Amino acid sequence: METIIYISLAFLLSFCIMAVMSRSILKSAIYLAAASAALGVVMFLLGAKWASVFEVSVCSGLVTVIFISAISLSNMKIEDVHKLYDDKKRMAYLPYVLLFGGFTMITFVLTKDINLTVVAQSTMEDFQNIFWNTRMADILGQITAILIGGIAVIVLLKEGAK
Amino acid sequence: MTIETIMLIVGFLMILTGCYCLIRSYHMLKIIIGIEISMKAGTMFLIFAGYMNGHMGLAQAYVITAIVLEVVVAVVLAGVTIGLYHKYGNMDIRNLTQLKG
Amino acid sequence: MHYLDYIADTFILVPLAAIILNNICPKKFAEANFHLLSGVVTVFQMLAVVAAFFLMSENHFSAYPFSVLGKAISPQVGVFNLTSVSLVFLFCAGLVSFISVLIAKRTIDANKISYVNLLMTLLIGMNGMLLVNDLFSLYVFLDVVGISSFVMIALFRSRTDLEGSIKYLVISALATIFILTALSFIFMQTGSLSYDVINSNLLKIAVHPLNVMLYFALILLIAGFAIKTGVVPFHSWLPDAHQSADTSISVLLSGIVIKVAGIYGFVVLTQLFAGVPAVQVSLAALGILTIVAGALLALRQDHFKRIVAYSSVSQMGYILLGLSTGSMLGLVGAIAHVFSHATFKSTLFANAAALHEQTGTLDINEMGGLQNRMPVTALSSIIAFLSTAGIPPFMGFWSKFLIITALWNTGHKILGGIALCASILTAAYFLRLQKKVFFGKTPAKLSSVSEITGSIKFAEILLTAITSIVGVLFPLILLYLQSLNLV
Repeated sequence: METIIYISLAFLLSFCIMAVMSRSILKSAIYLAAASAALGVVMFLLGAKWASVFEVSVCSGLVTVIFISAISLSNMKIEDVHKLYDDKKRMAYLPYVLLFGGFTMITFVLTKDINLTVVAQSTMEDFQNIFWNTRMADILGQITAILIGGIAVIVLLKEGAK
Repeated sequence: MTIETIMLIVGFLMILTGCYCLIRSYHMLKIIIGIEISMKAGTMFLIFAGYMNGHMGLAQAYVITAIVLEVVVAVVLAGVTIGLYHKYGNMDIRNLTQLKG
Repeated sequence: MHYLDYIADTFILVPLAAIILNNICPKKFAEANFHLLSGVVTVFQMLAVVAAFFLMSENHFSAYPFSVLGKAISPQVGVFNLTSVSLVFLFCAGLVSFISVLIAKRTIDANKISYVNLLMTLLIGMNGMLLVNDLFSLYVFLDVVGISSFVMIALFRSRTDLEGSIKYLVISALATIFILTALSFIFMQTGSLSYDVINSNLLKIAVHPLNVMLYFALILLIAGFAIKTGVVPFHSWLPDAHQSADTSISVLLSGIVIKVAGIYGFVVLTQLFAGVPAVQVSLAALGILTIVAGALLALRQDHFKRIVAYSSVSQMGYILLGLSTGSMLGLVGAIAHVFSHATFKSTLFANAAALHEQTGTLDINEMGGLQNRMPVTALSSIIAFLSTAGIPPFMGFWSKFLIITALWNTGHKILGGIALCASILTAAYFLRLQKKVFFGKTPAKLSSVSEITGSIKFAEILLTAITSIVGVLFPLILLYLQSLNLV
């Protein structure tokens, strides 16, 4: 059980780093989808079943489709892309930044005592009950956000608006 | 090095990765990928907090709302990127240098 | 208290109904009357705030929990909460949106239906943010406000560039990430994120003198709201966003969005974490830095809207100083300054719209001596400038006076002195603006401009009247509120 969480966390971090450092934008989008899948696995193992299903289906599916449809619009030759954006040089410092950040955090955690105690899950709570009965304000916010998304797509993609 | 501290450290490294990509990239879609990675790290922190204090139902309600907002931000930014592409022919943010001072 | 229930529901339901109405009506009709629909909604919001205030004071409520559409939708009452602080912000939101509609009637000529849709969603987002009872719902509506204002800035992309809007959205996404991470850390310590649970649990979790998680969460939360407010050093998006947006949208951004999204977040923060002294110290430091840096940066600008945008940055510092004192007088001063800044900043943007309509340019080096040609615009601009600099008897004087008195009372005499001297810088950059635009010699190609007519003139006159009348009557208003035990 614990080993699966370790492996999924390792996959998550490495897919994220590869998504950032890759030179081709299409491979970055695929790595992002794989990172979403790994995050869904981590969430499932921690006990959040509804959230992990939502994350895998929405982020790994919908967002990747949006990215690939946006990528398919730009048809530049691959050498021009590499020369224009120069991602290999721009993102080259990322592993060093992460190693430095990782070292500082590990020393910080080992010296200061941060007490992280896990409390057992309270079995009275049921996700459906909480979500539909107590989070009405969030649901209103989500409806408004989806409305804005629809309006934004209509406004920004209208052809011939010059 | 319990598993909780390792999850905290992985979360922070993910936010660092996302912010680095957001700041250093020239391609607009890479900037969106950076924002997405950071928001995924935020949802991972929410689930981790729910695991720690026992209120997993409430944490899942928060995470689902955060995922909906993340998708809407991605859609709106992708729309703007396509607008940028129609105007300049590529998705480079170095085209936008008119406002200074 | 059924009347109050109905009135409180309208804050969320009326804009929603307006969106539906706007999209059902036939297109020509909706485009010709777009200002009527949005004007009615904003005036209705202002009237609803006044009615709610009188009902609440009559029944001696200080806060009124309600839920939209009553018990039919959600069995739990108290999803939303109407407090007296949020009433002031709601009134400012209605007023500034009304001014934006008046300016938009004249300046925008395409995408009118989308403008109304987006204005209504922005109103829903801001009203929602002011009425909720829970930190996570605050974050959700904050994101809604951010996306909605971003789409409004990018609305007229055929005329202006996308640069200001992309910069705004990227920096605003960074703020969203910070706030989400901070919320998850606070959630880890307490069991939930609603205001009363955090208030009651705060002493329990802050019992360690160095509770690392809580301090880290507070730093991230302050940084996130500071980016949204536009304080120095996170201010770089604000001038570009104001310059590249249409004037009717700049007035919304500067008049209400940075206040509801940023300052109201700080108000909630100081009320929830009142026992942590680090919050007050950091707010005071940010405030004083913002006042001075914003004023100095405004001195070297040449574009009318950029000067006004940097002036907004500088005034936000005053509000932060008022909040950082932690006393009731500071809070009242800060909220009074929110209202007075809404009025005089909207006046200045209405003048910018008038100048752009009549002369076609906003570069102050190309203008001059317009006082004879545009007398109403000049008069409203001078009154707005006097109110900003804190000259009696206008509204700006009272709010600055309250803030500096609050600083003096809590012992921060040096900060009060610096804030007082920074008024000189405020007067300096505005004097330069007035001199270059309205006084002096008129250049040859501007010799045929005439006064602005129609809705923009009405907006300028209305705002000037509000600044003067509320400024003169302000001590009476304070005494009345004191008699109601609200102050």
